[in-house]
Amino acid sequence: MRVRLLSILGYTAAVATLLVALLVPLKLMGGIAAVVAHAGFRIDPMYSGGTALRTLQSAGYKLTIYAPVYPHRLQRGKPFQQVVFEPVQALPAQVTEAIDMNGDGQPDVRVTFRIPSDANAPLHGSVVALNSICQSVPDISNNSFSELLARTGDRIVLRIPLNLK
Amino acid sequence: MANAKTTSQPVARSMGRSLLMTLPMALWTLLMFTPGLMKPGLNQHIAAVLTGAFMVWLFYRMLRTGQTYRWRRIFFVALGFLFPVGFVAALLTLRGSMSIPIEHMISGDTPFCYMVIPMLIIPAALTHTLAFPGSILPTPSNPHSIAAMIGLWLGMTLVLGKAWCAYGCFFGGLEEGFASITRRARIRKLDERLRLVPWAVLLAIVLLSAAIFEPVYCMWLCPFKTVTEFPAVHDAETAIQFGVFVLLFTGLVVVLPFLTKKRTQCGFFCPFGAFQSVFNKINIFDIRIDRTRCVDCGLCVVKCPTMAINPESVNKGETLMSCMKCGACVDSCQKDAAVWHIKGTEVGRNPERARLLFLYAAWAMATMFGGSVIANGLSTLLHLIFRG
Repeated sequence: MRVRLLSILGYTAAVATLLVALLVPLKLMGGIAAVVAHAGFRIDPMYSGGTALRTLQSAGYKLTIYAPVYPHRLQRGKPFQQVVFEPVQALPAQVTEAIDMNGDGQPDVRVTFRIPSDANAPLHGSVVALNSICQSVPDISNNSFSELLARTGDRIVLRIPLNLK
Repeated sequence: MANAKTTSQPVARSMGRSLLMTLPMALWTLLMFTPGLMKPGLNQHIAAVLTGAFMVWLFYRMLRTGQTYRWRRIFFVALGFLFPVGFVAALLTLRGSMSIPIEHMISGDTPFCYMVIPMLIIPAALTHTLAFPGSILPTPSNPHSIAAMIGLWLGMTLVLGKAWCAYGCFFGGLEEGFASITRRARIRKLDERLRLVPWAVLLAIVLLSAAIFEPVYCMWLCPFKTVTEFPAVHDAETAIQFGVFVLLFTGLVVVLPFLTKKRTQCGFFCPFGAFQSVFNKINIFDIRIDRTRCVDCGLCVVKCPTMAINPESVNKGETLMSCMKCGACVDSCQKDAAVWHIKGTEVGRNPERARLLFLYAAWAMATMFGGSVIANGLSTLLHLIFRG
């Protein structure tokens, strides 16, 4: 009796597996993806740059200041704060900007960089810290996630290393 | 299934019966390849038609001959060799290089690979963050989003369990291809303990990834980075990473499979394979050894491409949990002792029924996923041949 019951259960599960196979591309795959997408996960800020805090308008372009990002305990990289300049077309060939990073009304860094005409050419610039929290970087380019000046599409992404921990 | 015997080995079917039984798979294939036929471009249409016919023909041959491994292997090797063709061509079109510049990483444009999944679990559970430079939802520049790929992987895993490694993975076919070149293995004696290495690698990368919030395997150990994409080389560290990828690829994917006739990276290194083994426990299909027929010749042990069967497991009448249900042991057994099996049922009773139920499900997945990958690679090849 037990053997027969197990056998019936086995075949039922096998047929169910076959039905699941038919449902994978039609419903299941999209359903699981929707659950994952809405489960409240976010990309690690070391990659994404974190959360946008506020937007500043400059001459024809805007700056978005992000919240400071702190690496996890053993994660490589330094704390940093991201600033995004966009759109690239509205930026002058040479950008020099004093930026208030923490919103206290005082500039915290002075940033200078040139925008090459070749959109794929690496960017180079400099960051001068005007307070003790931000770090000066004489030649900032695209070599690490926490010390970065790079073009992504229509945006210039700047990541300024911080002394905070 | 009228000709399914109560003995183990499946018998060859008549052409008419095989064609009739192939019909559902042909309809499924048509359903799966209709989107490909809707895309503009003659190359896409030719690739979709050829791939669809290829998948249906292989399934027909499995039914007609009663053999599984040989026909599955043709599909799997085609998948392994055509995946990089389509993938690399897409990368070259998109960014002009196989290397991933940091600009693409920070904008979430890194395509997500299922290999990352085990490394995401602990960081995601602890901090709700995904330690991967991709995007959760699909974007125009990155359709291979994390949510979509996890949906695909989990759906297929529910059906396949560890058989993912024989019907779903787009990497293992390269090894299987190199392992198929020679008739005899140059190296026959392999240490049994090598089977445990993937578990050690899995444990190490999961813990390390959780500690440093980086997909460690992808950054340092994945041999297949050599034929897909890798972090742009711009300093000593990234140069070492690239060197490790090339060395592992050459050793584990090309040279050792050629010398041993085993899938050495899958069997002795791949942490994702070890991770998939866990899902074999909840999968209803497995392969058993009918002890009433087995003469302990050891042929199944020799033929298994990943050492997922050993003399001890044969004695117990089962395969190890790392069995990927490729069918090599069943097809090679001279005494019909290695049999397809549905858990809960009597071993050796109607194994062909078990094989058919498994094959319909597994081939449906192979056609959906692997078939689309093959069609993409084929379309790229046709484009290169006709347009240069």
